[in-house]
Amino acid sequence: MDNNKHIPLRTIESTPALGNLDRICDMEEGRLSGKVFWDPAIYEQELEKIFARCWLFVAHESQLPKSGDYLTTSMGEDEVLVVRQKDASIKVFLNACPHRGNKVCFAEAGNARGFICNYHGWSFGADGGRLMGMHESKCYEESQFDKSRHGLREARVASYKGLVFATFASDAPTLEEYLGPMTWYMDVMLDMDEGGSEFLGGCIRSTIECNWKIAAENFVGDILHGGWTHDSAAKAMLGGPVANVGELPESYSVNWNGHGYEFATDVVGNAATLGEKDINKYLHVLRPKVADRLGEFRSRLIGAISSFTVFPNFSFLPGQNTVRIWQPRGPHKIELFTWVIVNKNAPQEIKDKWRRGAMMTFSPTGVFEMDDGENWEYCTKSSRGVVTRYQDLYVGLGMHTRLENSELPGNVFKGQLNECNARAFYQRWKDLLQAPTWADVPDRNGTLR
Amino acid sequence: MTHEQQDSLVSVEETRRVEQFLLREARLLDGECWDAWLHGLSEAIHYWMPGIENRRREDKSGPYRLEHMAFFDDGMRELKRRVARFKQPSAWAENPPTRNVHLISNIEVYAGPAPGEYLAYSCFINVRSRGLDEHHQIAGRREDVLRLEADGLKLLKRKILIPNAMLLCKNINTFL
Repeated sequence: MDNNKHIPLRTIESTPALGNLDRICDMEEGRLSGKVFWDPAIYEQELEKIFARCWLFVAHESQLPKSGDYLTTSMGEDEVLVVRQKDASIKVFLNACPHRGNKVCFAEAGNARGFICNYHGWSFGADGGRLMGMHESKCYEESQFDKSRHGLREARVASYKGLVFATFASDAPTLEEYLGPMTWYMDVMLDMDEGGSEFLGGCIRSTIECNWKIAAENFVGDILHGGWTHDSAAKAMLGGPVANVGELPESYSVNWNGHGYEFATDVVGNAATLGEKDINKYLHVLRPKVADRLGEFRSRLIGAISSFTVFPNFSFLPGQNTVRIWQPRGPHKIELFTWVIVNKNAPQEIKDKWRRGAMMTFSPTGVFEMDDGENWEYCTKSSRGVVTRYQDLYVGLGMHTRLENSELPGNVFKGQLNECNARAFYQRWKDLLQAPTWADVPDRNGTLR
Repeated sequence: MTHEQQDSLVSVEETRRVEQFLLREARLLDGECWDAWLHGLSEAIHYWMPGIENRRREDKSGPYRLEHMAFFDDGMRELKRRVARFKQPSAWAENPPTRNVHLISNIEVYAGPAPGEYLAYSCFINVRSRGLDEHHQIAGRREDVLRLEADGLKLLKRKILIPNAMLLCKNINTFL
């Protein structure tokens, strides 16, 4: 059943684009106004024109092994249920009853045959989300109520190598088109081993009083902060400072439609921060097999100094194996959900070391992340000052460093210490806010500086 | 921490000694006396604060599991690394310092699982302030095993449970 066909109210009424976006976000010049981190009107537009339109990460397939397994998460501020179906597919439904809108599932995960709203007892099948019945159903039958016209609203769902994404936009491109050539790089983490990847159990959630873009931008391409912000953590974990990224022999920044990945080719630079020799050893032993599988070049990236954001708010760090989503909660707050990803075939003791290591470094108790949260909160909060809000923020590092003849996929730039991915991220952000429909979103690939 | 009480009481002096240990520990943390705090831990410490999962009552998985993600799942090596970060001059986010109060209450002391060990339950409220206006409060329950070692009473195991399935602040830059 297509739950989306029947009620025209379900089409989002599009609000006109804000008029001053070119003034506050000029990526040709690499200039940005702090207003983009503060303004509630901009935030409302983001919910509609970015989060209700883009493909958003909702789950890893390994979190839902059996039919009826579910988890709850959110897409922007829309709460959703992600449910494994009897035919082994995964469906995503709004976690909101189509009667009065109450949440139909309050648990973060579990297994269920259906979901029953606490308010008036409307009940929905976990398989398909159809309306099955309700409290005092006879009254509905007497008023010729057609149950088949009501069900949990369904999103479009697609997976890439275990990662499940969803969108509520019927005009969005396919996930394959949406991710474009960036999947070639995502394979470094998702497909380095023949068994594929899985999430370890549990999810750590925290809140940071920052704008969601600051966090997403940090992972899209800001290793520049690593050597300075994280000096204390590196000294604690490694007994010395962070590697001098500027002196690494070969590193790149690549982006595509706002997604970005910055990476060195040093094999275990990120992984080393976990301070677990066995993890470095595991990666070194695995590397020749990765070279057979993905080629020599990508085998040098499996735990390298690197970070990745899939536009708009899904990020991960190869090596530390932390995967996270920055859930927007108003212009000045995010909820951070973190998971740990590992190779399914890795030995259990290696998985345990990654679980502990990821939490030790990148989590609310992580020695690295503590310093990030602090920076991001004050980048946001300082923008409450009206003069500060209109200060030009410089996002110009690495202008004119694009490699025209690179054989690597995507828009390729020289070096990791480069703000090209941040520029591409904010350009995409602006393009989406300005485009009335997906068809109006310009293709900037090959033209960004 | 819903044990049926078959736990056996210990002497008033022993109870007082364990209570004093827990209260002193709180004062050491508030004073950033990291080395003295570490000295109160057994080399075999397991310091564990699982992430809390918001699951239904009938879900057999329960609200936390040893093999799931945790805020802390540390031995002595990890705790020393955390302390090493606090002590770095480049721990920018700790200067000006975070100001802490650890309130400890509801202490119950029983004989531990092995001779020379004590089982102690307690509750805590940790209040942290930073800058002018930051105020973060975390409350929870702890289940500790303490052990008499050659150089005194040491914390051997700690399990920390908070009621929150989502931490309502950016970090936990202290010990609980």
